[in-house]
Amino acid sequence: MSFDINTIIYILEIIVGGLLVGVGVHFVPVGGAPAAMAQATGIGTGTVQLAAGSGLTGLLSAGLMMSVTDNIWPIIATGAVGAMIMMDATMLTGSWIYAYAVGAPFASAKVNYDPITKFSQPPYVAPGTVGQGIPTVCFVSGTIGAAMGGIGGALIYYPLVQINGNPAMSAVFAIGIFMVDAVLASWNIQGTIEGFHDPKFKKWPKAFKSCLVATVILAVVAVLITPIGGV
Amino acid sequence: MAKAVKGFKVEPKQLRIYGLVGSVVGIYLAYILNSATGTNVFSFVGALAALFGVVMGANAVRRVCAYGIGTGVPSIGMLSLGMGTVAVLFGLNIAEQLGVGLLGVIIALVYSLVFGYVVGLIANRVMGFNIPIMEEGLFDLSGAGTLAILGWSFAISGSLGYADIVKDVFNTGFLAIIFICGGLAILHPFNANLGPDEKQDRTLVNGVMVGGLATIATGICALMTLGLAAGMVQIVVGFAVWYYFYVWYFRLAKRDAAAVVGTGLLPPSAL
Repeated sequence: MSFDINTIIYILEIIVGGLLVGVGVHFVPVGGAPAAMAQATGIGTGTVQLAAGSGLTGLLSAGLMMSVTDNIWPIIATGAVGAMIMMDATMLTGSWIYAYAVGAPFASAKVNYDPITKFSQPPYVAPGTVGQGIPTVCFVSGTIGAAMGGIGGALIYYPLVQINGNPAMSAVFAIGIFMVDAVLASWNIQGTIEGFHDPKFKKWPKAFKSCLVATVILAVVAVLITPIGGV
Repeated sequence: MAKAVKGFKVEPKQLRIYGLVGSVVGIYLAYILNSATGTNVFSFVGALAALFGVVMGANAVRRVCAYGIGTGVPSIGMLSLGMGTVAVLFGLNIAEQLGVGLLGVIIALVYSLVFGYVVGLIANRVMGFNIPIMEEGLFDLSGAGTLAILGWSFAISGSLGYADIVKDVFNTGFLAIIFICGGLAILHPFNANLGPDEKQDRTLVNGVMVGGLATIATGICALMTLGLAAGMVQIVVGFAVWYYFYVWYFRLAKRDAAAVVGTGLLPPSAL
């Protein structure tokens, strides 16, 4: 393949995409198994599942837009919106179950006042738990995280399609990069986080550095792949 | 307990050699058998080769996750397959570009091993995991993910050529099946067996059992890409692997159980 200025731009796009995924994971309110039992704040599943879900939805919607246009901005916007819709739908339906089936009041145990609604939180945290449900701040934070994941997924997918011209292969490759960054970020937060108001959120520079190293190694080989007989 | 159940204990280093060598040799053996006979019925050997890598990966999962990584076992399996996907595409493509198509397996494997080691270093040094075996654990895991994808991709496409694998595995979307079924074979064993009484032989036998199920799944895919004969052979082989290791796993689970009591729903001979 020819190595020119475009190649460097492609590498940079993939790296920025990987970093957005890595940092975006820190915004998503992941509760893990405790949240599934309404004993912790957040969505009751693991980081990787949530990141993968929102990222793949973003990838799908970006791919759909890419079949219509080659302009990068609408593709990125569609990716972000797709991922946000997926994450919001998950949080909304999850909230219905927490509110109407489990019957838990939504409360965060990490802050005394919800930074957005200013509602007091501690009176509603059940004894022995670390919060329940998805309070407003977590919902907003999750939406931001999903947008970052979707933009990241689209930014990884777009250059790959430009390079190898094969959407199926690019999607799979993007999923590979996505998984690596999402897992590294989820290891950084040790499995659970409430959102940008959580003290753990301050650890994001570590994930940033880790994802940077990992994505650089992946991006350099990603641009070497050529479309010989592949289409 | 009527009779002693066959158990085993393998050192990680030994298992790593079995996994890497067995898998690579198996994939090339499958390729040679296929091209020597001019058919594609031997594609199932690729699926069997993947099982060696899976066992290595399952052992690495149980070693790393025994320290507790805080995110649940599935995350590490997905990481393994994510690294594997990138490595396989890169290895096969670069080999094709350099005109040494057959060496793609080796290139993919080397790249994934190096990348896995680097990710392990990052996890320990930057994120402060302080798991002493993190580097070699991820070294094994990324290799296992690569070999699993390569082996099962061969089982679906019947060829090691980049163009064939892209046409039959990536463009058809069958890679998603390999991704999830292969990932399950690597991550599920420890996820299902973890606990204070986790035993290596029970976990690894469970891994091969899930690998058999994945082979049935790739066999169904192969029905479409390789035709009836090759697909059916693969489904039968996958079923045989699953059945043999399921029975073995059942015996091991009974061996490690505190007590086995029937509910009356199953005949006593089934217990």
